[in-house]
Amino acid sequence: MREENLKRLRSLLFLSLAVLLCWPAVGSAQFHPKDTEWPSYGADLAGTRYRPLDQINASNFSDLEIAWRIKSDNFGDRPEYKLEGTPLMVNGVLYATAGSRRAVIALDPATGELLWIHGEHEGKRGGAAPRQLSGRGLAYWSDGKEERILYVTPGFRLICLDGKTGVRISSFGNNGEVDLKLNDDQDIFPDLETGEIGIQSAPVVAKDTVIIGAAFREGMTPKSMRNNKGYVRGLDVRTGKRLWIFHTIPKKGEFGYDTWEKGSAEYTGNTGVWTQITVDEQLGLVYLPVESPTSDFYGGHRPGNNLFGETLVCVDLKTGERKWHYQLVHHPLWDMDISSAPILADITVDGKPLKAVAQPSKQGFLYVFDRVTGKPIWPMPERPVEVGSVPGEWYSPTQPIPTKPPAYSRNGVSIDDLIDFTPALRDRAKEIASKYHLGPVYTPPTVSKLEGPLGTLTMGTASGGTNWPGGSYDPETHTVYVYACNSCIEPIGLVSAPKEVSDIAYIAGTAGKEVEILHGPGENAGADSPKSPKKRQGSGYISLNIDGLPLVKPPYGTITAISLDKGEFVWQIAHGETPDAVRNNEALKGLNIPRTGQETYNIGTLVTKTLVIAGEGHVTTTADHPRGAMLRAYDKTTGKEVGAVYMPAPQTGSPMTYMVNGKQYIVVAVSGGPYSGEYVAYTLPSTGE
Amino acid sequence: MLALVAIACPLCLLRAQAQEESRSVWDGVYTEDQAKRGEPIYHKECAACHGDILTGGESAPPLTGGAFLANWNGLTMGDLFDRVRKTMPQSGPGRLTRQQDADILAFMLSVNKFPAGKTELYRQSEMLRQIRFETTKPAPKK
Repeated sequence: MREENLKRLRSLLFLSLAVLLCWPAVGSAQFHPKDTEWPSYGADLAGTRYRPLDQINASNFSDLEIAWRIKSDNFGDRPEYKLEGTPLMVNGVLYATAGSRRAVIALDPATGELLWIHGEHEGKRGGAAPRQLSGRGLAYWSDGKEERILYVTPGFRLICLDGKTGVRISSFGNNGEVDLKLNDDQDIFPDLETGEIGIQSAPVVAKDTVIIGAAFREGMTPKSMRNNKGYVRGLDVRTGKRLWIFHTIPKKGEFGYDTWEKGSAEYTGNTGVWTQITVDEQLGLVYLPVESPTSDFYGGHRPGNNLFGETLVCVDLKTGERKWHYQLVHHPLWDMDISSAPILADITVDGKPLKAVAQPSKQGFLYVFDRVTGKPIWPMPERPVEVGSVPGEWYSPTQPIPTKPPAYSRNGVSIDDLIDFTPALRDRAKEIASKYHLGPVYTPPTVSKLEGPLGTLTMGTASGGTNWPGGSYDPETHTVYVYACNSCIEPIGLVSAPKEVSDIAYIAGTAGKEVEILHGPGENAGADSPKSPKKRQGSGYISLNIDGLPLVKPPYGTITAISLDKGEFVWQIAHGETPDAVRNNEALKGLNIPRTGQETYNIGTLVTKTLVIAGEGHVTTTADHPRGAMLRAYDKTTGKEVGAVYMPAPQTGSPMTYMVNGKQYIVVAVSGGPYSGEYVAYTLPSTGE
Repeated sequence: MLALVAIACPLCLLRAQAQEESRSVWDGVYTEDQAKRGEPIYHKECAACHGDILTGGESAPPLTGGAFLANWNGLTMGDLFDRVRKTMPQSGPGRLTRQQDADILAFMLSVNKFPAGKTELYRQSEMLRQIRFETTKPAPKK
């Protein structure tokens, strides 16, 4: 046995040496992603969004020029204004999803030349899908010879393509596809064509296993307390055969079933994993960030803590069996889906090496656990929280609150948070806020009343803090870099739902407004719209900004560097130019207002050897640049801005980087407002030409 | 009639044109009645994704507040109108009439607290391109 181990060690050493000798040669016998490549959505399976490249650095970032660009308008029957993808670059080819058909494109990474394109025409099934448009990306797999690209269509079919040609791999599933609405331990209702389930994130492949979660439509105004469930599955990357399934809502007899009182596990749905999944291949563990159960803001039909809603779950890569879990929010009521990839980090705390997992969140907490045991690295006591008074609701009396690191963005609203540029503006802010219930994190929603409160004014809920772009991690310094919206206010009011609109007692709405069922983009809004109930007396439209100024003080959006060894901030900066509406505001003339950052929640970061790079989410026009947005670079040790380059539109997909032919490139997706989706590649000017 | 005015008073026409070009969303470019007409159309055709108080959804952008204002600041109402015509409603782009689209935009302007005026918002893109979208209220003329 010992001799066998020695033999194995020797062969491992030989293999490592061979890899070192071959590196960075392309096309080695086995697939070993290189530091110069970007082989999965988050750069690696640990979700770091990190590459140790340094050709583009502080001294030259502002010299970047556009190497190539590709518009996504023609990759679908209509242009897309919400391009959220991050491409991959492996073995000399760049792959991405793009356009309103969620086409897959393969490009020359140096020139942008289109090598092949693949699109699926799904007809009514695609048209009825809950999550449409181009999605966030795709997955790459290779055994050293064959190369495969995997992605999920809007209609929830897993497609496997030959990476070299874009042609379906016929030996995978049914002629290159697996219908994900089948073999899911549930009957998708009402039927396969229109049944609500899909996904927009990129699949993950680890050790020949493809892992797929599930997503649904907006959860603020569900039509029913019943919905399809968002189980997670592992499939064989060679055959498409299902290897395992994890029930995010436990079945009868399974652990956690009793956290759904009155049998509510039977009919409650959603509770999927719609964002990126991370994997520790060495430990053979998968980290699943689970979203909210059906009905984001009212849980009266699902009494109990509702495992595994808003829970970080660790399962075995080979079997899908649960190893540990930690529920971040008991009985979810705030739409605090765990919205981004858990980040795997090998850190040193009090001199002790630890394998950790760090989870950014909408509520601005960075939850850090031992990723082997699931135990919090720093104490995370259960603290009492406000118990609300919505009829029929079930409240958890406590929630876990991390003691370290401190919250990196606002997660509640108090009078102290309101703007105070001038006494007059502050008075107006207070007047608006007086119509709402205020409080710290986990202040529950209220029933919306014309006489007040119209709802609870929340932050760090549906759109605050960190959303799907997640954070980045520097394995050299053990530092997490994470963008957060620090001003994304969400008023959460509940209204009684008319029977013809929903069978749920309360859905999101505002007193005096017609009750609306909220849809995701591309849903057949016309056909699905409920009959409007009789219009009620209007309460007037309360604007949550004052002459274009956010209701709360700056900074409006931040990037925070957090040391995982210490659980402390290294630095925090406002990210993004001060909005035009603030900079040019007549009421603020004469005031010296430092850069405020911007009110947006879709910003992803990239970390290189020396820089943290992120684009802006708003368009501005300044003396330094025409109407547009900037891609900014910060010194990763200090947060000091060291360069910026112009983008024609805001960043809507997180940036990535790679080297090809000796040159480093940065690719970012931009879109929004009048600007349709485009991938833009930047590189340094060639010298001597 | 216009031609007659042009012949009779070319300078008047030029002046009128100059005034037209200098209009912005702060100059009362829609009427209250038009915004009221647009409200039910918004709720029927748009609110499902963009929300009952225009604050957007997880996937549909807000039509009020910082990001919305920033996206369109410095452009024209024609740009905004064309974007709506070309892509909305998502279930059937171009399904609504130009009048309905203009009424919806009038409602959006009212929710964003741009002042109403005496003339309705135009239905023609070319004319709407003469109206600048500016997020900041201009300083009162002295």
